[in-house]
Amino acid sequence: MRLNIPEQDYMYSGHVGCPGCGAAIAMKFFLKAMGEKTIIVLPACCWSIIAGPYPQSTLQVPLIHSAFEAGGAVASGVRAALDAKGDRETVVVTWAGDGGTFDIGFQALSGAVERNEDFIYVCYDNEAYMNTGIQRSSATPYGAWTTTTPGAQWKRARKKNIVEALAAHRIPYAATASIAFPEDLVRKVKKARETQGSRFLHIYTTCPTGWRMPSETSIKVARMAVETAIFPLYEVTDGVHYTINYTPRGFPVSEYLKLQGRFRHLTDDDLEHIQEMVNEDWQLLLRKAGEGA
Amino acid sequence: MAKKTDTAPVSLFIPRSYLTTEGNKTGSWRFLRPCYEEKTAPCGAACPAAEDIGKIEMLATQGLFKDAWETILRENPFPGVCGRVCFHPCEDACNRGSFDEAIAIHVLERFLANTARRGAFKPEMERLARKEKKIAVIGAGPAGLSAAYFLALLGYRADVFEAADEAGGVLRWGIPLYRLPLPILQEEIRRIEELGVRIQTGRTLSERDVHALAGEYDALFIACGHGRPAELGVPGEKSEEVQDGLSFLRQVREGTVSVCSGRAAVIGGGNAAIDVARSVIRLGGEAMIIYRRRRRDMPAFGEEIAMALDEGVELRELLAPVSIKSSDGGLAVEVRPMKVAGTDADGRAHVEPEGKQTEEIRIDRLFTAVGERAGEAWYEPTETGDGILRLSHCVMERKTGGLFVYGGDLTNATKSVAHAVASGKEGSMALDTLFAEGIEAVRPRLAACRVGQDGSLSMEIYMGGPRRNRSPHVVTYDEINAAYFQFAPRLRQPRLLREERVRTFEEVNLRISANLAIREAERCFNCGLCNQCDNCYLFCPDLAVKKDSGPLGRHIDYDYCKGCGVCAVECPRNALILEEEAYEEGD
Amino acid sequence: MKKVIEGSQAVAEAVRLARVNVISAYPITPQTHIVETLSVFCSDGTLDARFLKVESEHSALAALIGASSSGVRTFTATSSQGLALMHELLHWTSAARLPIVMAEVNRALGPGWNIWTDQTDSLAQRDTGWIQLYCEDGQETLDTTLQAFYLAEQVNLPVMVVLDAFFLSHTYEPVDIPEQEAVDRFLPPFAPRFQLDTANPCAFGSLVTPDAYMEMRRSIAAGMEAALDLLTEVEERFAGIFGRRWAAVEPVRCDDAEIILVTSGTVTSTCRELIDNLREQGEKVGLLKVKLFRPFPVEEIRRVLAPARKVAVIDRNFSFGASGIFAQEIRAALCNTPGHPPVFGFIAGIGGRDVTKDVLEGIYRRTVESDRPEREDIWIGLKEVPDAPEHP
Repeated sequence: MRLNIPEQDYMYSGHVGCPGCGAAIAMKFFLKAMGEKTIIVLPACCWSIIAGPYPQSTLQVPLIHSAFEAGGAVASGVRAALDAKGDRETVVVTWAGDGGTFDIGFQALSGAVERNEDFIYVCYDNEAYMNTGIQRSSATPYGAWTTTTPGAQWKRARKKNIVEALAAHRIPYAATASIAFPEDLVRKVKKARETQGSRFLHIYTTCPTGWRMPSETSIKVARMAVETAIFPLYEVTDGVHYTINYTPRGFPVSEYLKLQGRFRHLTDDDLEHIQEMVNEDWQLLLRKAGEGA
Repeated sequence: MAKKTDTAPVSLFIPRSYLTTEGNKTGSWRFLRPCYEEKTAPCGAACPAAEDIGKIEMLATQGLFKDAWETILRENPFPGVCGRVCFHPCEDACNRGSFDEAIAIHVLERFLANTARRGAFKPEMERLARKEKKIAVIGAGPAGLSAAYFLALLGYRADVFEAADEAGGVLRWGIPLYRLPLPILQEEIRRIEELGVRIQTGRTLSERDVHALAGEYDALFIACGHGRPAELGVPGEKSEEVQDGLSFLRQVREGTVSVCSGRAAVIGGGNAAIDVARSVIRLGGEAMIIYRRRRRDMPAFGEEIAMALDEGVELRELLAPVSIKSSDGGLAVEVRPMKVAGTDADGRAHVEPEGKQTEEIRIDRLFTAVGERAGEAWYEPTETGDGILRLSHCVMERKTGGLFVYGGDLTNATKSVAHAVASGKEGSMALDTLFAEGIEAVRPRLAACRVGQDGSLSMEIYMGGPRRNRSPHVVTYDEINAAYFQFAPRLRQPRLLREERVRTFEEVNLRISANLAIREAERCFNCGLCNQCDNCYLFCPDLAVKKDSGPLGRHIDYDYCKGCGVCAVECPRNALILEEEAYEEGD
Repeated sequence: MKKVIEGSQAVAEAVRLARVNVISAYPITPQTHIVETLSVFCSDGTLDARFLKVESEHSALAALIGASSSGVRTFTATSSQGLALMHELLHWTSAARLPIVMAEVNRALGPGWNIWTDQTDSLAQRDTGWIQLYCEDGQETLDTTLQAFYLAEQVNLPVMVVLDAFFLSHTYEPVDIPEQEAVDRFLPPFAPRFQLDTANPCAFGSLVTPDAYMEMRRSIAAGMEAALDLLTEVEERFAGIFGRRWAAVEPVRCDDAEIILVTSGTVTSTCRELIDNLREQGEKVGLLKVKLFRPFPVEEIRRVLAPARKVAVIDRNFSFGASGIFAQEIRAALCNTPGHPPVFGFIAGIGGRDVTKDVLEGIYRRTVESDRPEREDIWIGLKEVPDAPEHP
């Protein structure tokens, strides 16, 4: 029994998420923390399908599907309408994948955040366009195989740092979270819920299907991403105040990469290079949090 | 062309969904099925009494101290005793030891017994219906008392016959007070009597008395222990200044010795030797232990050795006695140095004399503590015969004169209180099975109660309790998901300061608070048991783990479980298994 | 109250009177005066609406999709490139059956950049399921915008109110701005047939398989059909309160016309003058103004045009690889009517080039001189194009 995690669920079984789907786990925790006064805007992503085919709905809160690039804008409109109706209690949430956030949806997200629209934007990140067949996005990490970065053309561009991009907007609240750290995730969702203005949550969600790993390691891989500092858990308030929430145990990146088939092709030199990049990013984060040398 | 009428609104068929997805039974996707399956923790398997230690610590964590204490009593009538004097093989087997440090199970057992005593808990024990048969138990040491206890739980009348004036055996007359205070023992014996066991003290029995009893009772449980000290086999050992260590300890317990000044030497390396040496210190003397092997080979508990040395006992290793002579009002022990030359069959160092040079040690008195033998021949079972059934901790013999079960130190390879309890338990189970189902049923019935690979048997399983549903697989450390645990130091047992210890026979170990006890119990992995941590429930992507009011507080909804296996991997304590889904032809 | 205002301001006044709750728009010439006026209304409290100044037209319509789905009255305005950018969501809005109203200022599409009037932008969206109403002057613009809200909310389909760039949007004319009380009688508060509601949660826009999608599309079509009928009711209702009426088509002196010119937008005003002039000369000519383009008023078109000997359509737009779009639609409307007149298609005024009375008279004369059109599209007033200079 976890005292910090609410018991009430707002999601049904019977959805078509893959076995071990990290995105399903993320939504489950998110809704537990949010409660029923929530409206979800859902641009195209895996959850567009997991949300259920007509006439079924996986969620017990209102949901509007939106065009791929429009998540931030549709939410702005819903919020304006609720304000016009005098409803200040319901919280508007955009629930988008990495594609609809980092790439095609970035404009609408940036626009909404620049206007400091009063909503929560959640990006659940499985690091590729999974719904359409595992194609690369700008959230795909350096080194990964995808169907559009196959073989020798594995992705050599670094993963875009979306939280940093939004911190530059002076967003009131932005945070990373992981499905392997549910209490931290729930705390951040609750905090976001109580904050006014634009809030952004970047949730790391494993994809056993797209990352070529056994479904039962879904949480383990998510944990390892945090413990290797590849996906650090931290918060940024007003774009300037950084708080690191968890000190990784500092396992080498190879401990994380070796669990996933999408990194199988990497040589020792590649691993070393990745380790350097992760170390560099971690040092940078420490400095921002006022903790680094 | 559709016409809009005043009454009918315009056609509006849009994708608006509000039916639940629960109509979609995704359980059909599964090819692996997770099941809750509690398994055996290594601690319980290592405990000769098969205490359900993982469960005990779980209950302690929840503050359910009475329940935890009763869980001990199900398998062992002596939590207060064992929490003080047991050699805790459980801690050596503890999986937490591979993570940081083993759980201080021993300390927690003592804490629970103390708490029960302080709260005057009345245990609610499961007992079977009264049976007609009655069993005589010879010897009120830990084995005999345990046998009586378990026989009473099984519904039998048990009468115990004890030669000494008080019951307890080595617990009363051997182990010093600073290790085991008398009120603790008396209370635990009283609890056994409250089950209806009758203990007659001051009854020394001859072989003929025993045969008479064999006719009167349906069975006899012989647990007389070892009363005769082993000999050194060196000249001079029969002189007056040389005393057998156990008889010395008995005198101390009886109160007939209150001072022991001067220099004493103790030959031997077991707990008895240490007990003697530390008692001498407290009685005002100096003590030296002379041992033929090294410190690490000594069978005495490491903590005891350390405390003895701390209290000023001198340890002379690798010395074997050659002869003992009187000298200047005292004794001179001639000892020969030994050297290690290989390993014995039991894993201890094999020693040989080193050179011809000997040393003479001058002392005022000498104690021997090199082992024990049975006091009388009839204490022990016959070597061979048709009617003999050798079990792990006792021997059942059907003779023409009656039905005999021999247990305790008489039959146990390892001579300890925990093994004595195991012996009493096994004997009671063997008798109950024999009476109900015949001799052929004894081995299989007992085998079904085994916990782990060695001879530990569980009375809870024997009586049909939920523990019988656990898998016999003993959980190993690599089956524990250690990601859910933080390093935390092991509880340190608070003790009297050395200066305080050496002046008194007060108990050396001090009490711990409930706060500290719970904190230590929380370190326990609860290997193989479900402690309702909710990981499975939290991480299931399909919300297929449903809470309920059953014993585990949850079940898997197989209508929706896709068999992803996350629950099994994220269970910190391996309380789930994944098995292949069985499909019918044509599925 | 009569005021001399721009067409843009007429739109803004109508939006104000309609008590719109959420506006979302992105500036583009020549729609800017609409959004600027509305910004002032919102800022000084004249209009109690939330105005989202979004970062693109696509987001503007996306925001309204969100707002309208939440059960409030919404409005946007755009033009040309902006409308084109919205294209994906134009389809989305109608399929979601959202009663969004948009003012669409007809402007040419680039490249080259051209801010002047041209109808290709709105007509290129003719398949998107939006009702399209074309306006001739400031009064019609204000009135049509008010009617648009009423109509949209009756049939649950979005409505595009179309006005010419500059010739209408930036032209000052006297416009009777109704009183709020009268508008409230005409246009009741929005009563959504569905909305996002935590008390009654459901999902909008889920995956739909071929099993149900076709019926949903048929439902949109049925909505369009209903709109066609409803327009007459709206016309009556509006006339009853304000004394003005605007019909799907307006025939001018067509009863005995041998040749009927067909126009839309501000060209109509010019053409009215020409018709009067020609009639004075004894020409049997009439004018059909087409206001409603979607749903296309097939019956009305047939009724008015079938008896004529020739029809000449003036298109200020073009569908490349086909012909002028009004001409296409009219030809399609007439093709099953036995003995229908030939339809001449003239392309004029593209990219804001002026359509004067002389241009229109030239079109008339050419129609008179030919029995049949020599080609499907006849471009009027084209100049010689200089050869492209050779690359060095």
